[in-house]
Amino acid sequence: MSKESKNLQETARAFGGAKRVGDILLNNALIIIMVIAVIYIAFRNQNFIKAASIINILAQTCAYLPVALGVGGCIVLTGTDLSAGRIVGLTACISASLLQAVTASSKMWVNLTPPPVLLVLVIAMVIGAAIGAFNGFFVAKFKLHPFIVTLASQLIIYTFLLLYMKAGNNGGMAISGLDKSYSDFITGCPQFIKNLTGGITIPNYVWISLLLTVVMWFIWNKTTFGKNMFALGANEEAARVSGVNVFATTVLVFALAGAMYAVTGFIEGARVASNTANTGLNYESDAIAACVIGGVSFVGGIGKIRGVVIGVLMLRLIFVGLNMVGVNQDLFYVIKGGIILFACALDMRKYLVKK
Amino acid sequence: MKQRFPLSYLLLPVLLLALLLPAGCGRDAGIQTVRVGVALYQQEDTFISTVAQNLELLAREEELARTIKMNLTLADGRGSQSTQNDQVDRFLAQGCDIICVNIVDRTAAAVIIDKAQAADVPVIFFNREPVMEDLARWEHAYYVGSKAEQAGRLQGGIVKNAWQADAAALDQNGDGVLQYVMLEGEPGHQDALLRTEYSIQTLTQDGIPVEKLANDTANWQRGQASLRMSQWLEEFHGQIDVVFANNDDMALGAIDACLSAGMDTASLPFIVGVDATPPALAAVAEGTLKGTVQNDAAGQAEKILDLIGAFIDGTPVEDAVELEDGKYAWLPYTTVTADNLDAFL
Repeated sequence: MSKESKNLQETARAFGGAKRVGDILLNNALIIIMVIAVIYIAFRNQNFIKAASIINILAQTCAYLPVALGVGGCIVLTGTDLSAGRIVGLTACISASLLQAVTASSKMWVNLTPPPVLLVLVIAMVIGAAIGAFNGFFVAKFKLHPFIVTLASQLIIYTFLLLYMKAGNNGGMAISGLDKSYSDFITGCPQFIKNLTGGITIPNYVWISLLLTVVMWFIWNKTTFGKNMFALGANEEAARVSGVNVFATTVLVFALAGAMYAVTGFIEGARVASNTANTGLNYESDAIAACVIGGVSFVGGIGKIRGVVIGVLMLRLIFVGLNMVGVNQDLFYVIKGGIILFACALDMRKYLVKK
Repeated sequence: MKQRFPLSYLLLPVLLLALLLPAGCGRDAGIQTVRVGVALYQQEDTFISTVAQNLELLAREEELARTIKMNLTLADGRGSQSTQNDQVDRFLAQGCDIICVNIVDRTAAAVIIDKAQAADVPVIFFNREPVMEDLARWEHAYYVGSKAEQAGRLQGGIVKNAWQADAAALDQNGDGVLQYVMLEGEPGHQDALLRTEYSIQTLTQDGIPVEKLANDTANWQRGQASLRMSQWLEEFHGQIDVVFANNDDMALGAIDACLSAGMDTASLPFIVGVDATPPALAAVAEGTLKGTVQNDAAGQAEKILDLIGAFIDGTPVEDAVELEDGKYAWLPYTTVTADNLDAFL
């Protein structure tokens, strides 16, 4: 590099300094706002930063995390997945019905002794992955937009769910009377953790969720499949030309997402313990919102696991925090909507700058 | 762009930690503040919102009477148990002293009761009755509401009296059999099941010949009921003698459908509801709704406030409210027809 150009570069850097600070502020605007909000709320209501409240936010974040991790992959492929909520519902009801206690008053499968909890988790994940693969197949094979495919498949799944609720001895009632092994597996908390936290319960599903996050981080960042997914999302033609199996990658992304929804279903089955045809309804909207807030872009090929985590955490913080300072619940949605718009506008700004 | 994120991510926990330090200072002294969290299953349900309005009204009165500050926070579960659970979590995290829950899914109360017990906050369920075993999990879990089968019996009674007084007036096709359609509340809801069962049982046990033309769920909603009814009007033209609706919103929906199909007040089928909501009472006055059963919204709110008052005073709850099994505060239903309407307006 010649001397003049080096000098030029340095002057440019000096000029750009102020602009860069502005850029940093803007690019991290959401996080800065979040931090300010947390400080404000904490001053207004000190309960907000008590251990119980922080654990509550953490636990709620973890409960909604797997769906967002799943749908994130679909968004990276410039798609979306509207069937997430119904898959959660179906797998929650299947998990709960298989794991009803022998003594439950209205047992769906009368003669069934509850199988091992982990086996049910695997069954749920297989079902979720199969439905996801079904979505992916239609997307990849017929070049349909995932919006259309999953709009249709969520209706199809709803019928399965309604029929399943009427199966066996259940007759459309809510599935209740869960086996203790199941409830403990999800909402229990081993004694040694309680000792560590000083008696505060951290439910087990938090660990399941964190484990999934690590696994998904590994898949997204360290595997060929993950690289292919991003390549495909950024530019399908380029990916195809460079030898990415578009069909297999698409089907796999959706199947993986389906399996993630199933884990949420499995968790929700015992966490919420309300297993009806309405379980899981609209879960996808929060998950998609969390992803876009966290910078998973609908432009495709852009997104990070940590962004998804931040997005989910942020949504939960908003809900818990606003409640803490006594904001009318009806206003929550306008704030949520505003943040989604704001986040996406910021996101697009980065993208436009790149161009 | 990549390098910019980590710094700010670090900031968050650091700030959170910094904030933890000054925490724990005392709250300002003076007037006692009682925080009450109220979780509703669906605020747009007319009956539930009437209960909520009554609660707010009575809370204001209580404030004046006791010179305390009562912070009533309402949360709308929008028909989702998981939303409602999150709301309960928030109430507890916020430091509510008492929570009132109009539970979305009656089989899911155990989760909420366990949360409340862990935080040692009394929980009052109302209008939607949790399963008995769940309520038994903790001594400070209560239920305020009415017995669903009684509503069914009284609703059936209105139709029975009308039929026995003048069967010909009800019997549109003159075959001597009472043909009815049933608009049901949400599937699996115990009130829906029991009201449906006992309203018809009241007729059959007195030997009235009945025939069910159709039944379907309208999820307690006026719009959905109107849709179902329009379909039935086309399908069973001139055959429907009686329309049973599990609640008033749905009964009004049925009336909407009949009127928009060109019927007038005289040619309407015999339509009955449950709840005695203000719009339903207006319909009874008009003569479009033949009768309803009062579900005592004001009474429920009153009992809830009585329980809350006992918690504030620290006196035994049994002294404040009459309880069955130490848990259930029952309110009676009352029949409302054109004859006794004035007492309810």
